[in-house]
Amino acid sequence: MLKTEELRINIGPQHPSTHGVFRMLVTVDGETLVDLKPVFGYLHRNHEQLGEVNSYLQNMPFTDRLDYFNSMINNHAYARSVEMLAGIEVPERAQYIRVIMDELSRILNHATALGFMLGDMGAWQTALLWGLREREKILDLFEYVSGARMMCNYARFGGVARDIDDYFITETRKLMDGLPHYFDDFEGLLTNSEIMLARARNIGVLPKELALSYSVTGPVLRASGVPYDIRRAEPYAVYDRFDFDIPVGTVGDVYDRFLVRIAEMRQAYRILEQAFQQLPEAGGGHINPKVKQQSLKPPIGEAYARVESPKGELGFYLVSDGTGNAYRYKVRAPSFINLTALADMCKGYKLADAMVILGSIDIVMGEVDR
Amino acid sequence: MTLANRQGTGAVVPVERNDQRFRAGQGTAAGLSIVFRKFRKALFGKPNSDRSDTEGQFNVQYPEERLSLPEAYRNMPILLFDDATGHELCTSCFQCERVCPPQVIHITQAKDPATGKPVPSAAEFIIEYDTCMSCGYCAEVCPFDAIKMDHDYELSTSNHPELDVNYNRLLRPVSYYETIAPTLWNDVRESAMKKLQNNIKRRPGAIGVDHGQKVGAKAAPAAVARPADPAGAGASAVVPAAKRAPVAAIGKTMSEEKLAKLQSIRADNQAKRGGAGAPVDSAHAVEAAVGVQPDTAQVAAPDAATPGSVAPGATGPVAAVGTSMSEEKRAKLEAIRAAKRAQGGE
Repeated sequence: MLKTEELRINIGPQHPSTHGVFRMLVTVDGETLVDLKPVFGYLHRNHEQLGEVNSYLQNMPFTDRLDYFNSMINNHAYARSVEMLAGIEVPERAQYIRVIMDELSRILNHATALGFMLGDMGAWQTALLWGLREREKILDLFEYVSGARMMCNYARFGGVARDIDDYFITETRKLMDGLPHYFDDFEGLLTNSEIMLARARNIGVLPKELALSYSVTGPVLRASGVPYDIRRAEPYAVYDRFDFDIPVGTVGDVYDRFLVRIAEMRQAYRILEQAFQQLPEAGGGHINPKVKQQSLKPPIGEAYARVESPKGELGFYLVSDGTGNAYRYKVRAPSFINLTALADMCKGYKLADAMVILGSIDIVMGEVDR
Repeated sequence: MTLANRQGTGAVVPVERNDQRFRAGQGTAAGLSIVFRKFRKALFGKPNSDRSDTEGQFNVQYPEERLSLPEAYRNMPILLFDDATGHELCTSCFQCERVCPPQVIHITQAKDPATGKPVPSAAEFIIEYDTCMSCGYCAEVCPFDAIKMDHDYELSTSNHPELDVNYNRLLRPVSYYETIAPTLWNDVRESAMKKLQNNIKRRPGAIGVDHGQKVGAKAAPAAVARPADPAGAGASAVVPAAKRAPVAAIGKTMSEEKLAKLQSIRADNQAKRGGAGAPVDSAHAVEAAVGVQPDTAQVAAPDAATPGSVAPGATGPVAAVGTSMSEEKRAKLEAIRAAKRAQGGE
């Protein structure tokens, strides 16, 4: 056999398929990947320290900028953490509104994430634009209700900033009428395509045990066959009232991650349907009026609240010393922790597969670097 | 079953991998057939307006066509002044300065020149637009509804210091805000005006009025003074100092939907006032004070301002696609489309 020399190359930090300013230091033997070292920190902006200087309310818009695809879910998670810390009650209607926004976010995130992943695979533009198109429709709804498309800043302690009205509900209903067709189209587009199967099947396998030992969460973990979903394992908001299935994969490869995400979009649709059915019965306003938003001073203590973000377990850890700003503020970002498993997922595969595997983890650098 | 004791159910469902199927390219063919179907619809279908559509044309030809903005849309903060009296609504209570997460709001309180005591009015008010994160907290906390979020998003400029926006360039008439967010303003209008009347009593002399002149004399250090003539200024960030800019021009591209809402609200208010036996004159006076006659404004718009000379602030409230695009723009768009069609045909 011909002896070859190993070569170290940089992919990124400015590379179109690294999903942001992310650098992969790879060692290749021919085309086979021998080693991969993820290098990040290029987007560091001192988020956690800022959270300790700002007041609790002031930090809310900064959480939008973590995972900028799902600012609604970030807001929800942060608000939940502060509510836990200060013992604030959230009215039922607000809980339902938050669930509706979360599930809409989940659909838009998965639609775009899969689009980007397929783009990495070579299905240039079509799949991505279909994802972006659905995202656009949902963002219009977010804009209507919160005032901004991506940086929603919608949650408040004890509820949400504005109530949803009939216009929002009818428009979301309209959007939902089209969603099943969209899922079918998106699934039919490439799921059985021979090219897709060749690029995705048995590529980037992450075994169950390894996934657990890296504490990977979200669709990546479920694709490896672990049915762990915080909405079911530790129900928050009103998630214990909905019927929904947890799709899991069997092999843990890129193809499973693709299928799990499509199945999750369908489940999100189911939750939305039920949430809209139950919403009229839900009591309370959109916000708890007793909470002092600006001058909130939670009692001394600590709290860790987590939600199932589309990327995995998103948690906010807060320590209060009784003053107006947090003593310690820590974000458990799913993208960051899922990214640590990248090296083990990529080893032994071809260099071109590394892009697809990275796409299948679905990272957002805003959240990885903070 | 009540909501609270509803128990959700669900199973763990392994996804289907279609592992054993015979493959001869039928999967790729199925995908391509979907693509071709959509492609045909995109070429020959109608432009899409309904959110439930999943095929057809989705593009919006941006400079010519614009999506309408929801009332709650927030971009950059502006300050309001009363059309009738010229009094600014801001009382320099510092609530917005305190809550602002990136801390870009800087207020100086006005002082009575005779006694040296603070007056409920701001002497200077600077917002750094370049660092503002558009979170909308300032508008949310303002107890006097003096600070609101503007809808103008075409703020690009080649002059960076210009983005430290000073008081006279932040000020907009109340009627402008009313055109971009009729329902929201209607909710707070009465309380805001009442509070303003109280504050006017506590402002000696002309403090809180005609801010543009006073600040212009002082020449705020950070903000570069801009020419008063919008046509000369060209396309730039902020509506110039002219506080008394004809409001009609500002409201000219209001979408019909918003316009209808605004008119119905005004009719309601007028009816309320009229119920107490107010003469017709007073209603007219209010209309004149507010300064907008939306019907005439829309007609007058195309010749009043050519696209190049309009200050972007004026184009802020954006026309809904196809509904209230100005005639000129629509004709232009039609021409462009016809040309494209002709090109494609040949």
